[in-house]
Amino acid sequence: MSQEAIAAVIEAHIDRLIETWIAAVRDDTRIQSDAMLSKPELIDHVPAIVHQICELIRKNETPDVRNSDEARANVYVRFHQGYKGRDLIRELSLLRITLLEHIADISSDEDVTADHESSQKAARIVNLYLDEEMRYAISVYGSASE
Amino acid sequence: MISQEEFEGFVRDYNEDYKLLLTRASKRHYDCLITSFMVLKDFYNMIQVSYDTGQYTFKELPYPFSFRADYVLLRTLGFDDEGIANIFGFLHFVKETQGMEFEACLEAGTLAMCARVV
Repeated sequence: MSQEAIAAVIEAHIDRLIETWIAAVRDDTRIQSDAMLSKPELIDHVPAIVHQICELIRKNETPDVRNSDEARANVYVRFHQGYKGRDLIRELSLLRITLLEHIADISSDEDVTADHESSQKAARIVNLYLDEEMRYAISVYGSASE
Repeated sequence: MISQEEFEGFVRDYNEDYKLLLTRASKRHYDCLITSFMVLKDFYNMIQVSYDTGQYTFKELPYPFSFRADYVLLRTLGFDDEGIANIFGFLHFVKETQGMEFEACLEAGTLAMCARVV
């Protein structure tokens, strides 16, 4: 299976993935900032982030400061929503787990026949994209506390 | 090498321009707006790349460049329902007139726009 196909499968299941992620965030007792947000406010930029990650997977493009706009938008909105930095990092960690588990499921699906290399590249892009967002978040929250 | 003060000035200018372009979209002044967004995107990238070097701090955060489907963000920026609908309408306008999504236009850059004009 090509990276194009992996991106397509992720996008085809985006609603289910977002629901899984929301449940994980809501169930995580260590995340407190989400309590003040409605469901649309909590979801906010996450679907756009997943779409941007899929676009990068499709092109096999390494995430960097120029192609991760949605990640920066998410940090901006969370910061202005009064979200704690540590809660943002944790919810991004949960998004990482959700996406990586989905890629693993795709890889092990006999009907899909994903090749190991494509899955590995897709997982690497997920990791680098979310690392890019965490890097930005840490520096923005750090600046605010100085 | 730009100073921290100059960097802060760039962020202020970017924020003013970004808000201006969104305000134009909110009033359905769509003409030539995509070209303005292309130029502003370069400015935004310059700010983020400079910031990423670790040599500067944000006194105020630059507005995020992406606004697709972000009702929460546009509300934060002070736009009402009608203005937000018109801003999203701009994305449809770009798709109809350019034959590609707003983000694809930005990526294609001015060369693609020039090719269309020629």
